[in-house]
Amino acid sequence: MPLNDVVPLQKKAELYIRQTKYREALLLLDQAIRLDPKDAKSWYLRASVKTEMERFAEAIVDCGEALAINQNYADAWSKKGLALYNLGQYQPALAAATRAVSLNANDASAWYIRGICLEEMGKSDEAEIAYAKSLELEIILDIKDESKRIRK
Amino acid sequence: MKTNMPLSKPIRRFISETERMLDTEITLLRKPDAAPGGTLVDVYTYNIDKNIIIFPANYIGLLKDFVIAKQCTHLFIKGAAAKKSGYKICSFTSDSVYTGMRQIYLDALKDEVNKEKKLPVKKLLEMLFILYRQFHEDINELPWNPIVNARIYYRMSQLRKTQLYILLKDGKQDMDEMSDMMDIVPRRYFVLDKSMFYARDLYLAKTLPSDKLTPVVNIPQMKKFDHLEVKEMLTTRWTHTAWYQSKVFGDNMLTIMEKHLDVDWSGDATLDYYATLYETGVSLTNALLAYMSMKDWFIWEKPKHLLAAQEKMAIYEQDALKRIFGDLIEDT
Repeated sequence: MPLNDVVPLQKKAELYIRQTKYREALLLLDQAIRLDPKDAKSWYLRASVKTEMERFAEAIVDCGEALAINQNYADAWSKKGLALYNLGQYQPALAAATRAVSLNANDASAWYIRGICLEEMGKSDEAEIAYAKSLELEIILDIKDESKRIRK
Repeated sequence: MKTNMPLSKPIRRFISETERMLDTEITLLRKPDAAPGGTLVDVYTYNIDKNIIIFPANYIGLLKDFVIAKQCTHLFIKGAAAKKSGYKICSFTSDSVYTGMRQIYLDALKDEVNKEKKLPVKKLLEMLFILYRQFHEDINELPWNPIVNARIYYRMSQLRKTQLYILLKDGKQDMDEMSDMMDIVPRRYFVLDKSMFYARDLYLAKTLPSDKLTPVVNIPQMKKFDHLEVKEMLTTRWTHTAWYQSKVFGDNMLTIMEKHLDVDWSGDATLDYYATLYETGVSLTNALLAYMSMKDWFIWEKPKHLLAAQEKMAIYEQDALKRIFGDLIEDT
């Protein structure tokens, strides 16, 4: 099978993720990784699925694989931050989320993770700034979604 | 609490507090097709083992936290009522549906006399129950909205900016609701419905006035509200719409709200406190129903009564039509 065949697998897995069918998504992503272990997106998607399945330690490993292939992969940093937060590792979670927003300042989720980590670490002033940024981005997305809904 | 999602500290604390006080479990569920305001499926209303708060999957940060705070506050109110005096909601019976639909029909007749374009009979008949249900839905939701919002504003200050955005959004939606039915619905009901939302917005404008909408000024769509306080925003919006004629009724409803919502919004989170919030909501609901001359339209009953009534909705509608129109109505 040619390497670019991982793309349909990833697309189908993303669809399953949206439908919260995580087991099905996981099977496809395992297959995609076997086909092309150098594709960072497959590792990142599998980390997303494992986070949803509360397999946070495994998700961190998958994020690590994605970042070893592409160290500027903003979404993988963001997901790593989320998984680390869930394990109560606030300092490394903050570092990962900070890296994520430095690569993609429009990642509402990463700003939010920054906020909750800073809050847990007692840095409420800094947390408030991160929350405000996250809220601003979330509102922009919400307004866009609302417009789409109205157009439909 | 059952969740693997990140939550800000005050929300996490509030959920734990609610679970402990009510001796219950709350599950948070993210769903792509969830209603923007979220949904609460609770043990006090439905025959289930645990409470579920459902929220839209695209809400990932503070929007999600606010939706959870809102639904959790409502859950606390319901649970406290259930544990103290008993939890009841506005339900309906065959008789109360008849009373409501008959009144709507009489008012519709008055309206039709002055209309150039008469409403087709079939549409008129359909409208009676649709409008009755609309008011049932609104009266079971609207009085609780200012209570829940005021409580969150005073207890979870971190969520205020988010709350202002949601108020802005919800208010617009409620203002536009029923607009497509404007030519069908009797004027009286259109105005009363709008007046309830007008009163709610003006009440919230007075109760939560101190924060400005500055966090969202970078968003082009919201620039026009720059430097506006929420009070100015909500009042300005109403005075600039076609529904300003709702002002007379709305101002009266506002007076009712202010009289009934005389509550210390920062009170300690005890069962007694939340049971008081429930009693406040009940008395506000009754006062609004009395003001709108709808006292006999609905009855206070246990939630399972309403669930059973909803199963019989079609029968109640047909029965009411037969009682109003006699043999003119055929069995369907």
